[in-house]
Amino acid sequence: MSGKWLNVLAVVVWATILTACMDYGPIERESISSSGRGLFIVCEGNFMYGNASLSYYDIDSMKVQNTVFARVNGKRLGDVAQSMAVRDGRGYIVVNNSGVIYVIDPETFEWIGEIKGLLSPRYIHFLDDRKAYVTDLYSPYISVIDPLEMRITKRIPVGFADKTQPSTEQMVQWDKYVFTNCWSYDDKILIIDTERDTLDGYIEVGMQPTSIVIDCNEKIWVVTDGGYENSPMGQEPGALYRIDPATRRIEQTFPFAFGESGSELCTNGRRDTIFFIQKHVWSMNVNATEFPQQPFLENDTKNYWYGLAVDPKTSEVYLADAIDYTQSGVIYRYSPKGVLLDRFEVGIIPGAFCFTEGDGH
Amino acid sequence: MDIKKWLLAGVFSLFAVAAAAQEMREVKIDEVEVNARRKLSEVGVTRTSLDSAVLRDNVTSSMADLLAQNTTIFIKSYGRGSMASASFRGTAPSHTQVLWNGMKLNSPMLGMVDFSMIPSYFIDGVDICPGASSVNVSGGGLGGAIALSTRPPEEPGWGLRFIQGYGSFDTWDEFLRVDYAGERFQSTTRFSYTVSENDFPYIDYQDPTLEGTYPRKRNRNGRYRDLHAMQEIYWQTRKGDRFGAAVWFVSSKRGIPMLNIDQRESGRARNEQTESTLRAVASWNRVRSNAKFGAKAGWIYTNSIYTFEGDNGNEALMEMQHAQSIVKSGFAEADASWFPNEKWMIEGSLSAQLHSAYNRERYTKTHYDKMRAELSLLAQAKYRPWERLGIGADVRWESYGRHVCAPVPAGFVEVILWPRYNLLLKASVTRNLRFPTLNDLYFQPGGNPDLKSEKGYTWDGGIEWSVRKRWFDFSADFTAYNSHIRDWILWLPTARGFWTPVNVNKVHSYGVELRGKLALRFGKGWTLDLNANWSWTPSINYGDKKSWSDESIGKQLPYIPRYSSNVVGRLGWRGFSFVYKYVYYSERFTTTSNDTDVITRLGSYYMSDIILEKLFRFGFGDLSVKFCVYNLYDEAYVSVLSRPMPGRNYGVALSIAPRWGSKNHRSE
Repeated sequence: MSGKWLNVLAVVVWATILTACMDYGPIERESISSSGRGLFIVCEGNFMYGNASLSYYDIDSMKVQNTVFARVNGKRLGDVAQSMAVRDGRGYIVVNNSGVIYVIDPETFEWIGEIKGLLSPRYIHFLDDRKAYVTDLYSPYISVIDPLEMRITKRIPVGFADKTQPSTEQMVQWDKYVFTNCWSYDDKILIIDTERDTLDGYIEVGMQPTSIVIDCNEKIWVVTDGGYENSPMGQEPGALYRIDPATRRIEQTFPFAFGESGSELCTNGRRDTIFFIQKHVWSMNVNATEFPQQPFLENDTKNYWYGLAVDPKTSEVYLADAIDYTQSGVIYRYSPKGVLLDRFEVGIIPGAFCFTEGDGH
Repeated sequence: MDIKKWLLAGVFSLFAVAAAAQEMREVKIDEVEVNARRKLSEVGVTRTSLDSAVLRDNVTSSMADLLAQNTTIFIKSYGRGSMASASFRGTAPSHTQVLWNGMKLNSPMLGMVDFSMIPSYFIDGVDICPGASSVNVSGGGLGGAIALSTRPPEEPGWGLRFIQGYGSFDTWDEFLRVDYAGERFQSTTRFSYTVSENDFPYIDYQDPTLEGTYPRKRNRNGRYRDLHAMQEIYWQTRKGDRFGAAVWFVSSKRGIPMLNIDQRESGRARNEQTESTLRAVASWNRVRSNAKFGAKAGWIYTNSIYTFEGDNGNEALMEMQHAQSIVKSGFAEADASWFPNEKWMIEGSLSAQLHSAYNRERYTKTHYDKMRAELSLLAQAKYRPWERLGIGADVRWESYGRHVCAPVPAGFVEVILWPRYNLLLKASVTRNLRFPTLNDLYFQPGGNPDLKSEKGYTWDGGIEWSVRKRWFDFSADFTAYNSHIRDWILWLPTARGFWTPVNVNKVHSYGVELRGKLALRFGKGWTLDLNANWSWTPSINYGDKKSWSDESIGKQLPYIPRYSSNVVGRLGWRGFSFVYKYVYYSERFTTTSNDTDVITRLGSYYMSDIILEKLFRFGFGDLSVKFCVYNLYDEAYVSVLSRPMPGRNYGVALSIAPRWGSKNHRSE
């Protein structure tokens, strides 16, 4: 072949390459549906990556579907999916750094609507069919929303004039009061009067309360991480606290060793046992007066376990391993006796769980 | 398909060029110029220098665009007017050492350089030194080093050039350069000011409405304003001493664009970064018949503030994060070179840096305030025993704080196979290291004072050749490399919710780089210049498994493309020039397990820009008008997850260079 023709051929090949198109466009939509009891796994994704996702695990068939929100709706879930709750046939996914709560049909995963106007939402707590509270990492307010109308109806100021802005997190309800833990550089459990929608006081616990639950005895449990070395707050041993909501006093404290921190507090279905992560997974009867000697599940890996949930019906335990936080996480399913039943891959940084009964609840 | 296409293109192009060269060789063989003798300091070194023509073509671009379009360096750009980092051969941005007039620009806190903050207009020379070739430029270049330089004006007398640019999205650029070159004294003053609303529209294909349509959105909170001013002075004595000083001031205010999946209302949440930087460096050089001496001293001051403001529920925005970093760095260096005869070169240098870093978050009150001294001693020898053989060795010793690092050796060899065509084989090897940054060690929360230095072992070898005739100039080189890095520093979350750096990863990167340049001078004023780069860059994690479910081992590192290439073609005729720029990256994974699901994979990247320019010569000076089309094919894309990029957009630039007296320059 002469040089002339090779030149022509090279030009043609180059032109073909130069006009190639980028592989970016709509996400192909699929129909996926759930049946029976299921577990939503909320995968945070990486901060500022926008790669949060929602996985769905069929508890009976032990099958998992990943990225269901994006696959069904052709839409990315957003940046840092924090938590999820199901109520009255609707799933509410709180997407922290997108400032939104997506409302979906928990059976078809179809997107129904959204609640906007939030700054950095963390958790949602339902008071009744028309009223729910949404906590926030940065906002000096807890937002009151109407879940049916999917709009904010009111804001409850939670700031203190002489204190730094509290970051409100998880919520539990006792009587007409909602208790919420302030985790980030704080040591308080705020108390909200749900009838007046006002801040009614607070309880001081240890440094950085990470999670909160209420047991069958109507006692509130809080676990703290104790801060960290060189923190402006200082550092102390993390601890587990039992609080009487009626008197608003700490009844009992179970301190950890210095440098140990606790998180992911949850209860079983009967709420007579609490579970939490403190390097290992621990379980403890709510009437116990001493810290257990042996963990429920021992962590012999180099990793910190990132999420924990207990099936309210079967008391099976689900444990999330985010591995290196930049790959698909893994969920381990254990029997109430601690026997491994299943293992499945989900999205990036699985951090929160939400059980659904398959009848819209 | 991508690989096949590229192989085909490469093969056909090589054949085409070879055939063209063959035809010319048949008729013009007597015009081949022999230029095999390289400088002793270059023995075995792989160095790519961007010539003045490339810099001239890109005066209104940032250094990030320049490198992406003209080198094998991978630029990870977070979007228009946003951060852009540079990676060599599958390494991290902090493994790229960047120098300006011999002074290191890498932030001692972050370890990297934002190339979007360096306007090409402020740089006169760019030398790219990958792998072992970086050892005599700087320590810590596990990937390589980029040496940026300014130079005294060459044309005698006064010179002035002003460029006014205007582009899409209300973007205004002003560039001014005033030169004076006397017999012994030269001065250059440069100024640039860029401001842009940067609110480009885009179709969001991955955030449809409830009705199923794809909304046309605008880039939000992307406004930026960058001001740069630089003054250089140079003075040469009759005895051969050269003194120089340069001061570079930067003031920048940039919005951090909201992600495309951010559902907050515009103006109800705002991230912003402001930076003020002053860099100053002074130098002295003395050249003797068989020796060179030099000394430098410099100072860098950077004050950067990141803020996040959010809706406080009462219409007003309230500041919720305010992180300030102040870095002061002093620098001093002395070097000497000795050429005892034509066969030997011996060189040594000693440099010292003293950093002071202060970082504080106003609301959480987290902070650190640290000082660190860094020393670096370099000795190198180059020897050419025979005309066709050169060998060299470098040794660099470094210390930071109280840590004295192991010596960094590097070896070089080159063999000239065919002097007529400057055909030479070259190879180099080194065992390098990079010590942790101040943030790695002390950032609150998460800094890890027990971190070890990252260690790298790398070798490369290649062949280069060039042919030069009166109207034909061709050069090409091929390099293969192999690199192992261990104790790679990676930030991972802790049980307390913050991240901390640990020495975990082991990375094996290897690959091939091809570079080619072709310049043709046809009759009747026609010219054609082609510059092409191609690289294959596997960069594989082979560290220990974090847990038995870890799928990252044996996988490509996130955001590093396996294949990349670029082509710049420039066709010129009687003052007109038409430039085509093309950049390609293969698919990139954003997870360490290389997942390919719909929300984590980034598809292949193809970008084409064109520029049409006309130069008018008048008696009073030169005037040029440039029209640019960026993203020629109006691609909808993201280069980094959730960061929208603009579709086709335009820019015009008017350049004026008055001519005084007999001076006749700046008309290129």
